[in-house]
Amino acid sequence: MAQVELRNVTRRYGSDVFALRELSLDVADGEFIIMVGPSGCGKSTALRLLAGLDKPTSGDILIGGRVVNSMDPGERDIAMVFQNYALYPHMSVYRNLAYGLRQRKTPKHEVDERVRRTSAMLGLESLLERKPAQLSGGQRQRVAMGRALVREPQVFLLDEPLSNLDAKLRSEVRGQLKQLHRRLGITTIYVTHDQVEAMTLGDRICVMSEGASQQLGSPQEIYESPANTFVAGFMGSPAMNLARVPVVDGQVMWGGLSVSRVGPGLDEVTVGVRPESFRIVGADETAAIAIVDFVEPLGSHNLVHVRMEVGGGDPRAGERQVQTDELVVVQVPAKERPTPGTRIHLAIDPTAVFLFHAESGVALTGVECSRVAHTS
Amino acid sequence: MTAHTVVTVPDDVVSGTSTSNLVPDARGSRVPSPWHLVLIPITFVLLVPLLWMLITSLETPDEAAQFPPTLVPHAIRWTNYPDALNAAPFGQFFLNSAIVAVIVVLSNLVLCSLAGYAFARLRFPGKSLLFASLMVTLMVPFQVTMIPEFLIVKWLGINVASGVGIDHLGALIVPNLVTAFGIFFLRQFFRTIPVELEEAARIDGTSRIGVLFKIVLPLSLPALSTLAALTFLDSWNNFLWPLIVIDSQSNMTLPLGLTFFQSAHATQWTLLMAGNVMSLLPMLVIFFAAQRYFVRSVAATGLKG
Amino acid sequence: MAVAAAPTSSRPGRRLVRRVARSESATGWLFASPATIFIAIFGLLPIAWSLLLSFQKADLLTPDTPWVGTANYRQMANDPLFAGAIQHTIVYTSLFVPGTIVVGFLIAVALNRKIRGISIYRTAAYVTMAVSSISTAIVFLWLFDPVYGVINYGLSLLHIPQQPFMSDPSQALFVIVLMTVWGWTGFAVVIYLAALQGIPQDVLDAAAIDGASRLTVLRTIVVPLLSPATLFLVVWLTINALQLFDEVYLSTRGGPLYSTSVVVYYLWDQAFRQFNAGYAAAMAYALFLVIALVTAIQFWLGNKFVHYSS
Repeated sequence: MAQVELRNVTRRYGSDVFALRELSLDVADGEFIIMVGPSGCGKSTALRLLAGLDKPTSGDILIGGRVVNSMDPGERDIAMVFQNYALYPHMSVYRNLAYGLRQRKTPKHEVDERVRRTSAMLGLESLLERKPAQLSGGQRQRVAMGRALVREPQVFLLDEPLSNLDAKLRSEVRGQLKQLHRRLGITTIYVTHDQVEAMTLGDRICVMSEGASQQLGSPQEIYESPANTFVAGFMGSPAMNLARVPVVDGQVMWGGLSVSRVGPGLDEVTVGVRPESFRIVGADETAAIAIVDFVEPLGSHNLVHVRMEVGGGDPRAGERQVQTDELVVVQVPAKERPTPGTRIHLAIDPTAVFLFHAESGVALTGVECSRVAHTS
Repeated sequence: MTAHTVVTVPDDVVSGTSTSNLVPDARGSRVPSPWHLVLIPITFVLLVPLLWMLITSLETPDEAAQFPPTLVPHAIRWTNYPDALNAAPFGQFFLNSAIVAVIVVLSNLVLCSLAGYAFARLRFPGKSLLFASLMVTLMVPFQVTMIPEFLIVKWLGINVASGVGIDHLGALIVPNLVTAFGIFFLRQFFRTIPVELEEAARIDGTSRIGVLFKIVLPLSLPALSTLAALTFLDSWNNFLWPLIVIDSQSNMTLPLGLTFFQSAHATQWTLLMAGNVMSLLPMLVIFFAAQRYFVRSVAATGLKG
Repeated sequence: MAVAAAPTSSRPGRRLVRRVARSESATGWLFASPATIFIAIFGLLPIAWSLLLSFQKADLLTPDTPWVGTANYRQMANDPLFAGAIQHTIVYTSLFVPGTIVVGFLIAVALNRKIRGISIYRTAAYVTMAVSSISTAIVFLWLFDPVYGVINYGLSLLHIPQQPFMSDPSQALFVIVLMTVWGWTGFAVVIYLAALQGIPQDVLDAAAIDGASRLTVLRTIVVPLLSPATLFLVVWLTINALQLFDEVYLSTRGGPLYSTSVVVYYLWDQAFRQFNAGYAAAMAYALFLVIALVTAIQFWLGNKFVHYSS
């Protein structure tokens, strides 16, 4: 059994610096779980605690159902791939792969067999006698993976293993990682700051910030039902548009939408709409109005940066409109390419609107959203 | 939200790339690391010679001449120090060492910068041959050159200026005004400065010597201070050459003076230790003040080598 | 209409280039001359002169220096005192170099951690570098005094008999080894500490995860990765050890009867006390050759075993 559990794990430095605050995480046997978040969120700390390279200030770490807090890294039957690969510079690829097996007193012929098998799996056979300095970045990465896999560990820990590869290699190796996991089924905990890796590789994602888990769920859940503004803004590229909007008489008006049943006692909420939930429409449809600031063409689609008009005088009467200062990003098909400075009409999908508590950022539930006629 | 502040832990600690921490410190700041138990005895053993020297210098001769030895003197006997000063002119020794060291350091900084820059950046005929010949002197040990140097210095003292001759401070200074090591060291460093900076200054009309003084040297302060520290230490502690050329007590540098003092008062340990403490103090003070440069200078020679 | 092509380098242009080049040469020579002159006089000239002296008989007092051919070198080969000095030097070197390296390494490993007050401990280790060889020798003479010294007192507490130390030629050399190891520890610690901090922490973490104990990590990862520093120390310390002088002068004057003499002491004595400068020059050249040879062998062996991570 190789399920992994973090129970209320806290890691404190000194008296008031917290790298992890009461983090709890349950990883099922064979699951591929991703910890994602910005620098300093605590994901690498959590990984190091799991590996045994560091000790938690409080809380328990369990591997295969056993509390391993006091176990040395070597006793936990885990393997790790480091961001900078951490290959033994003075040893050949063969010896790098064999090192872990040798430490466990594995008989020589078995060491040889396993090293050769793993290197065949990763395409390293021709490199076995080379030293790390003689390898390319991609080759080193494979050796780092090989060193971890050759031990057939219960748990596989990866610390941003793709971040030092160039973009093309990165997507190739991402695919290979997914295949490997399907084939070997080892419980995997993967740390990254790249949300594309998170979305594509994980069975479940743990979004982290400031030492705590912000949300734990499948990629779909994280994307479609973010628990707070942090998760909403972090996952998805380009990021979700977030705007603080005042609540008037229990109603929120923004971008041609009316949101009701917002809940008592709130003066302000944060409205979130993803760029792909906008559509450019004709002037006659009920819509929000915006002025185009600039357009980023991406080949498959365009990102239009606009300033929303939030009411004011009647444009038909030539009165000035008030615009927000914030830029909203709208994703449109490649064919639509509005000119900067022009006015466009946007329709927002009412089912794709998120509301969050303005102060705490927590998602609000039970709200109703509908489109309204353009107010003048 | 709890009352604790959450601060981003420095990247190198979090990602574990901060080196020099083979033992993860999981405790809060309250519980001291067990490594103190190892480090304190080591430090004690390393410092015990100096401590014992200090203690002895504050004892009476009777206390020192006891067996078992007196670990803590009854009273602090400061008089050993003035007595030592009377027995030998430590002030003069110190002054001599200081004059020699300061002049040698300054001269090396200037002359090695000029030569180092010439070898690093300027083109002139015979440059490689000249540089190679100068570097040859690095490979030859002092014992080979010391005998003819003695003769040269003696000749200079008679035929050029007595201040440079045998038994004068000049004899300690002049042969050491430049070292091949200094030239080599600064040349290597100057080559790491981006040439574009100097070229830009030249285009603006700065003369070559101007470039050296206004651009290159200000950027070379770490290397210059490292060279200064190394040269100073070398000059201050030098013993063999002063032994060869200096005879009179009034011209002795500290190491030489101390030897002289020791042979005259070999069994007067309290006096001897007081004299030793006085000789050590200036160098220790300078060491503590400029510790960074000394350490960096040693590490630099080691990591390059 | 035909247009004459302008010449690619006009005559005024070429003259300017030559003038600039000449001024660069002049400046180059100007900058390099003061240093060159001094090193030529006090470095290169003595090197050549010393070789000459080694084929002469010289007393440094009178200007007569008759040519004696290889007599000095032959004398060297048959001189039992010189042979003794060589033997003492070899014994000293083979104890001093490994001793300093091991002590320096162990202390550097102990100092390579981030605990409170570590900079104080490090400073204490570095301090030995600032103490001159003479001061060190005086202190150690006192520590190892046969009658009143603290070391003998310590031995008596452990019921080990009192030792004569410096008054006994066979022990004196060991005391000199101890005092020079102490003096050079700071240097070795600085070098090793700098090298240790160059080892990426994640390589050590990977070894821990691979199941290596701390000692195994030290043996299989740290020591090999420190090999360039070790080579440097071996070379540097050996060169210094072969030139041992100050401590011998102060503690025993090479005696009694040259029984603690080392090569440099013996040759200094010959040159400046026995008026045999020619002989001394020959010995100095022999020492030079030995140092060069030993260093070359060390580098050659080193390149076979040392790992340089690029």
